[in-house]
Amino acid sequence: MTLLAQQIVLGLLLGGLYGLAAAGLSLVFGVLKVLNVAHGELIMLGGYGAYWLFALLGVDPFAALLLVIPGALLLGAGLYTGLFGFVVRAPEETRIKNSLLVGFGLALALHALAVRLWTADDRSISTGYGGAVLTVGPIAIPLIRLASLLVALALIAGLHLLLARWRWGKAIRATAEDWQAALLTGIDIRRAYLLAFALGTALAGAAGTLVSVGYSISPSIGLEWTLKALIVVVLAGLGSMLGTFVAGLFLGVAEALSAAAFGGPYREVVGLVIFLVVLVLRPQGLFGRAPR
Amino acid sequence: MLELRGLEAGYGDVPALSGVTLQVGAGEIVALLGPNGAGKSTLLGCVSGLVRPRAGTISWEGENLLAIAPHLIVERGLAVVPEGRRLFGSMTVEDNLELGAFSPRARAARRESLERVFALFPDLRTRRRQVVRALSGGQQQMVAVGRALMASPRLLMLDEPSLGIAPQLVRAILDALVEINRAGVAILLVEQNVRAALTLAHRAYILEGGRVVGEGAGADLLGDPHVRRAYLGPLAAGA
Amino acid sequence: MRSPGGGTEHAWTVAILVAFALLALLPLLTARDDVLNFVFLVLLSITLAQSWNIVAGYAGQVNLGHAAFFGLGALTARTLWIAGTPVVIAMAAGAAVATGFALLIGAAAFRLRGAYFAIGTLALGEILRTTVGNALPEISTLPAASIAGYRLAPRYYLALALAALSVLAVAALARSRLGLGMQAVREDEDAAEATGVSALGLKLRALALSTALAGAAGGVFAYYHISYYPSHPFGPGWTFDALLMTFIGGVGTLQGPVLGAVLYVFLKEYLTVRWVDFHLLIFGALFVAIVLIFPGGLVQALVQAGNGARRRRARRPGATT
Repeated sequence: MTLLAQQIVLGLLLGGLYGLAAAGLSLVFGVLKVLNVAHGELIMLGGYGAYWLFALLGVDPFAALLLVIPGALLLGAGLYTGLFGFVVRAPEETRIKNSLLVGFGLALALHALAVRLWTADDRSISTGYGGAVLTVGPIAIPLIRLASLLVALALIAGLHLLLARWRWGKAIRATAEDWQAALLTGIDIRRAYLLAFALGTALAGAAGTLVSVGYSISPSIGLEWTLKALIVVVLAGLGSMLGTFVAGLFLGVAEALSAAAFGGPYREVVGLVIFLVVLVLRPQGLFGRAPR
Repeated sequence: MLELRGLEAGYGDVPALSGVTLQVGAGEIVALLGPNGAGKSTLLGCVSGLVRPRAGTISWEGENLLAIAPHLIVERGLAVVPEGRRLFGSMTVEDNLELGAFSPRARAARRESLERVFALFPDLRTRRRQVVRALSGGQQQMVAVGRALMASPRLLMLDEPSLGIAPQLVRAILDALVEINRAGVAILLVEQNVRAALTLAHRAYILEGGRVVGEGAGADLLGDPHVRRAYLGPLAAGA
Repeated sequence: MRSPGGGTEHAWTVAILVAFALLALLPLLTARDDVLNFVFLVLLSITLAQSWNIVAGYAGQVNLGHAAFFGLGALTARTLWIAGTPVVIAMAAGAAVATGFALLIGAAAFRLRGAYFAIGTLALGEILRTTVGNALPEISTLPAASIAGYRLAPRYYLALALAALSVLAVAALARSRLGLGMQAVREDEDAAEATGVSALGLKLRALALSTALAGAAGGVFAYYHISYYPSHPFGPGWTFDALLMTFIGGVGTLQGPVLGAVLYVFLKEYLTVRWVDFHLLIFGALFVAIVLIFPGGLVQALVQAGNGARRRRARRPGATT
């Protein structure tokens, strides 16, 4: 029983990162109608960014967030300007297909680049306080992972506020809902796209940082995290950042439960199966409202 | 102020507009009438920048509107209330109105604009924090008009504002248009409700099959036999 | 994706089959294993790409789980063949299992349109890979007797036969009623349905053909390799290779996947010698360029170059108009 509770707690902690990873993907898909399947690779890059800041300059990973997030913002802006900005010119149906293909080409290139630069080895950040654990009754909560969960929650809450209060945040939401109406009210939707993509990349970078300190990274985690993000996005639907976070927690717990029931190696499978089931049962696609 | 000359537009092989020429002068209310599919919405689409015409010119106060990016057209002083309103349903009344004043020029005047909108549509002031999706059709239409007004336009274009709205609310909206016009804003009104439109408008154009087939003062057209037969129906009771 | 025209495709079919006939003589002309291995890889890649092309180019759906069928074919064929079944029958069984699985999930899968079909099949592929990886974590190696008696030639000829079969299948498909129906569905599914075409039926048939070829290719893979991890052929890299080759060559055409496969394998071998894995970086970039600029791939580029040359010839002084 305690073992199960322990697993669930660990699942929750990981789920927070799933939520953060998904939030970025959800934002980009919701606004640009573009499915960036290289999202996981952006997470991977964020992880390496934090890793090298730590390994070469001794920067504490949580402090590194202050560097990784702006860096990722710039990277996202660059990727939009140089790549995805062209994809959005196509009408919506072709756009999604093209984004899949382009994203996949980008993922391949980033993966190859990462292997070339940093080898395929697993890496993890071990800080001095790495082993610290908060004990609540029989349950041990690794402090780093707890802190990561709180950071993830804070970032998502921050994003939510940004979208709700900031003038351009509202413009982003408006563009997501009806880009033509947004144009009519004077919103430069290309700027909204750029901001959304940059923000999405920033969230990915942050998620990667948290993964590198609480878990481990390697060039291959890209596909894995893209799929996790996709699963959470499908579960949550579009439109609510907080809802995405909760769905992430749910996936984390679901994985923990399935690992307890079927054994460790199958924990990955349950998420994918849930994903397929939800996908097939909602034929209107990921985010439509139910057909009127 | 607004001048369309020889405008041609279409979707694929289907021509929606053929050689359309019309003007809207300062302070005028101009109605654009015609059956479904006549090209009225396409015309507004061309002016607002959402539809690219194949030929012809659109000039606004002497400037070539076709050379301007769609999101910058609002800055020039034109605002659109699109067909079906196209509000941001998941956002509040206040947010929708605020977004209407997104362009720099409008943004500077947004506090006054907001007051003016609430003065015109007092109902919206009480509902300012409600999510637009939850409002009735008529109230949504008010938000849509309000949103366009927030842009401090010199020309307001409306596409079928009375469609699907309860009659008493239609009355309220049309009265509001008169007031808006009195404050100096020109209006281009695409309307199915021909009688209401013609009583309101100074001038009107009739569009059929993508061409301008009639033009004249509002009152004159009301009495025109073709108009009466085609648009006011055999049971039109009185003038 | 539109093919440049029946006449060109017919010419290409003949040319490719002639090339294959010549390749059949290769083992008789050279004993160099590295050459034969290289050509083997090209032939296997042609089948992989051509099979993916059927669903993508003709039924218009991006299948990101293609490796699942390759893997199922390999798994089935390997198990049967090691147990003593003649290899051709084992391969056929592999193809059957792959197709069976495809038809099982097909109806549900095709409820998803466009991007959702793509990510759904991606997830499916990953599910199979993880499950097989967990169930069969140990490397699969041929018994010593088989290793001692290993000859490259039968593997080579099987790959050649399969590649020829896949090219012929696509050639026949393009001209058949099935192919025309698929084109209608690809261009406008709702309109096609309105005229009585069963989109689902057509897509399922396309999927069946595609996965049968992929499964057979898996069988060839299983026959060729002395040892490999059972989950390896289920890896997404195989899908991505097929996708890359088809797109670079020209999706929806007959010669596209063939050209793409030849170019891809050639560059891969060449670039790997100099820079390990660098070829993927190049291909990623090339791929992006193709999607955004040259959706028709090499075939489109060739056609445009051909048109350009023709136009230039006509413009030269003295040429009759």
